Amino acid sequence: MEKMEVSKELVKKLLDGVISDQEVLRLLNSYKDEDRFQKYMELLQERVPWKDEILLRLSEHIYVVRKSSGERISKCSCGHEFGDYRVNWKLNCLINVRRTIQEMSEVYSPEPACPEPDWQEIREFFCPNCGTQLAVEVLPPGYPVQFEFLPDIDGFYRDQLGSPLPDADQYKYEDKSLELIKSWAKEG
Amino acid sequence: MYKHANEALAKAKSLKELLRAKDELTQKTGYYFGIEVLGLKEEDPIKFERFYSEIHNLALRARESARFVAASPGGREMGESLWSICTPEGDTLANSLGFSTHMVAYDTCIRFMIDNDYEENPGINDGDIFSTDDGKTGGAPHPGDTYSYMPVFAEGEIVGWAVAVNHIMEAGAPIAGSWPGFSVDTSMDGLVFPPMKVGENRTPARWWEQLWKSRTRAGVFNVLDDKMRLAGNVIIADGIKEIVREYGLDYYKRAIREVIEDSRRAIKENIRTSCVPGKFDGATFRVVKYKGLSKLWPHADKDFMLHTKMTLNVNSDATILGDMTGTSKWDYCAFNGYPGGADIAFYLPITGNFVHNTKMTSGLFYDVKSYYPKGSTYNPDTDYAAFSNIWAQSMAMGALHWNAITRSMFAKGYLEECLSVEGDWAGIQGGGTLANDQNYGFTNFEQVGGVAQGAYPYRDGSPVTWAMWTQLTNIGNVEEWEYLIPPFFYLGRRLVKDFCGHGKYRGGIGLSSIHWVVQPGKDLYVSRGGAGTSQTTHVALGQAGGYPAPNSWYLAVRNSNLNDKIKGGMPYPRSADEILDYLAEEKITAQDVQIFKYDPPQLKMKDGDVFSDASGAGGGWGDPLERNAQSVIKDLNEGWVSEKIALTCYGVVARKETSDNEVRYLLDEPATQKAREDKRNARLRCQSVKDWWENERKKVAKKELIEPVKYMYNSSFSTQDGDSFKQNFIDFWQLENNYDLN
Repeated sequence: MEKMEVSKELVKKLLDGVISDQEVLRLLNSYKDEDRFQKYMELLQERVPWKDEILLRLSEHIYVVRKSSGERISKCSCGHEFGDYRVNWKLNCLINVRRTIQEMSEVYSPEPACPEPDWQEIREFFCPNCGTQLAVEVLPPGYPVQFEFLPDIDGFYRDQLGSPLPDADQYKYEDKSLELIKSWAKEG
Repeated sequence: MYKHANEALAKAKSLKELLRAKDELTQKTGYYFGIEVLGLKEEDPIKFERFYSEIHNLALRARESARFVAASPGGREMGESLWSICTPEGDTLANSLGFSTHMVAYDTCIRFMIDNDYEENPGINDGDIFSTDDGKTGGAPHPGDTYSYMPVFAEGEIVGWAVAVNHIMEAGAPIAGSWPGFSVDTSMDGLVFPPMKVGENRTPARWWEQLWKSRTRAGVFNVLDDKMRLAGNVIIADGIKEIVREYGLDYYKRAIREVIEDSRRAIKENIRTSCVPGKFDGATFRVVKYKGLSKLWPHADKDFMLHTKMTLNVNSDATILGDMTGTSKWDYCAFNGYPGGADIAFYLPITGNFVHNTKMTSGLFYDVKSYYPKGSTYNPDTDYAAFSNIWAQSMAMGALHWNAITRSMFAKGYLEECLSVEGDWAGIQGGGTLANDQNYGFTNFEQVGGVAQGAYPYRDGSPVTWAMWTQLTNIGNVEEWEYLIPPFFYLGRRLVKDFCGHGKYRGGIGLSSIHWVVQPGKDLYVSRGGAGTSQTTHVALGQAGGYPAPNSWYLAVRNSNLNDKIKGGMPYPRSADEILDYLAEEKITAQDVQIFKYDPPQLKMKDGDVFSDASGAGGGWGDPLERNAQSVIKDLNEGWVSEKIALTCYGVVARKETSDNEVRYLLDEPATQKAREDKRNARLRCQSVKDWWENERKKVAKKELIEPVKYMYNSSFSTQDGDSFKQNFIDFWQLENNYDLN
């Protein structure tokens, strides 16, 4: 294996899906460039139409950011804010549920490839602002919404990057989704 | 007991003492066998690496030689075989090419033999041959995977084990094949045996050969595979003796443990470098349709769904814990397993992602752990649970692990490593009697050897190029399968249009073959061993807005006019979807057409019947509306997607142009822009999750779920740790604490 110098330009090509197979192969066959995260963050920050500091990218369009107020939230690339990053951002999305073969066969084909109605349903989660499809779940009816990734941001910055975040003591690493759900139950 | 490794290695008088010393020193110090300083490596790194390369070479050589000494076609052609070298106490030092996470099983088996005093009875001596295919005592995932162990002696003491495993052609269960899909308890799993001494002086016992011939339907093939495993183990055992002579016994004993500690550190460092820590939810579901299959076992006469839940914790100290709390209780079905066998699937992403710059050893098991609740699918609280096809859903468990690691690496920016991971494999199996009264059994490993790769965040997945369980992707030659399975001929083998998880980047397209039955003789029965079926997707969560891959489906067409059409020189279908088209257009007619979105039961096939599969699709990545419209047009022109899916899933409108009798699709840009805008606007009119939750909550409170789904939840609530999943369910829906689904 070689130690490869990975330029910001190459990471940009990876992000844009225009990287060549040969370049991918070199990346796969090399030791990991330890400063990739910094380059990644710089590139992402240059692209988003807002100023909040990106702490982490969770998915294609979902970021954990620190607002100027100091609050850490999850946020869509379009600017929509989902609230505390420790609450499952899916709970603040719009949702479409496909329950019948007719509905499912618009996204699974041929027809025998469709999940079985009543045994499974397809849940599509959309950003309420830009309408991007952010996640898909195919689960039995009644199954709780899944929290795909609750990051241990402070553990990451402290133990892996060696630069603890200044507000670490304000954010315990815990899933706070239940607080939102309880508030829904109270409203109901 | 001992203060450090060197003392244990010098003074331990039995394997039992060595094993205890390793466990205690590892536990006490956090270093493998208490090895804090890699003394031999530091003193002379070139010698250390030369030593290891000789060890590794033995494992590689064993495989490449032995499978040409004697082997079934399955053992010879496919990646379903592995040779390894272990320490005396059961940790792996080196592997050949092949399905390398099988090495997890060695620890279970060797530990069992040591704990149960095999050193005294039956004795462990130079030249002995041991074998097992048992899950509970031998760590085997299922009885189709058969392991051979040979203790390696040098200078009068045991210095390790040569181990070989391969997937045999037939397992001897009531349902013919090597993954019997209907098994109520382990007495129906086939020929299952705990670690047994089956030969001495490098010679298999006569009864052992006869056992394969009497108790399985592919006795000749299974004996050939047994000889193949033995041949490789002999190569290893002889080679180790030479290496000990060259390097000295003391060096050998210390160096093999340093190798494992060295790789443990490298893997931990790779996790630290590649991953963002966090907690990742994942789930997968597997349909069991046993209702009506038999009245003999009323406790198994039911349809239900197995649930595998994984919460993966990637910790900031670069350790990983996969917690399967919430997984179903074991059941009266073929799809249970035991921890050793389950771990073979669980560790796949570790070998796939973190062993690239180090040695493939047991070092990867020390900082990455699995937890299977007692009583669950993968850790039954009984010795009698069937495990004839754990792979039915354990490969999806491996995919949950891998998809979580992908999310973690995506956050770190290593996108090149990220993909939507699926592992939907399938095998067609069966047995029969030829016209000359010859009985036989078979397994076609075609869709075990290679499946589609899921999409990456920067490109589409490719078809038939990948298998998360082996580096040796190879679906085999059609001709090889045809001569192996007497009455099965290929009418076609082809990718199935639309059959993938869609997304900004789509998954690799799944494959279909048509198996045409020609002169089967007296009888032929066919069934399917495989991963999921299309009634559920392979994993429950897609990646970044892409759809998870669809699972396998099957088609049996019996009593048709296909033979007449072929004799008449008419066109014939080449894949499962084309059969459906031919039937719809009445180009062929049949009295008996069955589509299976679940495991087909064993089917009796006659001359001219066909059985077809569609399997191995890859998952998508990202929002399909973000897919480059020209990529959709390209897919249309190449036949990978249909006009319908182009529009309904991707919002792409194509217009057709015909020139030289060839239809070409062209992008209708304005119509596509409008279609995509319309779809986006329709999404923005959808209900909020909060509103959906309020409505769903009422249904859940009223228990408005079908019985198999209720059964699935109740099963998950009832394992040793099931209460915590139940509480999670109650909390999510804000139900009364005494809520139940009975």
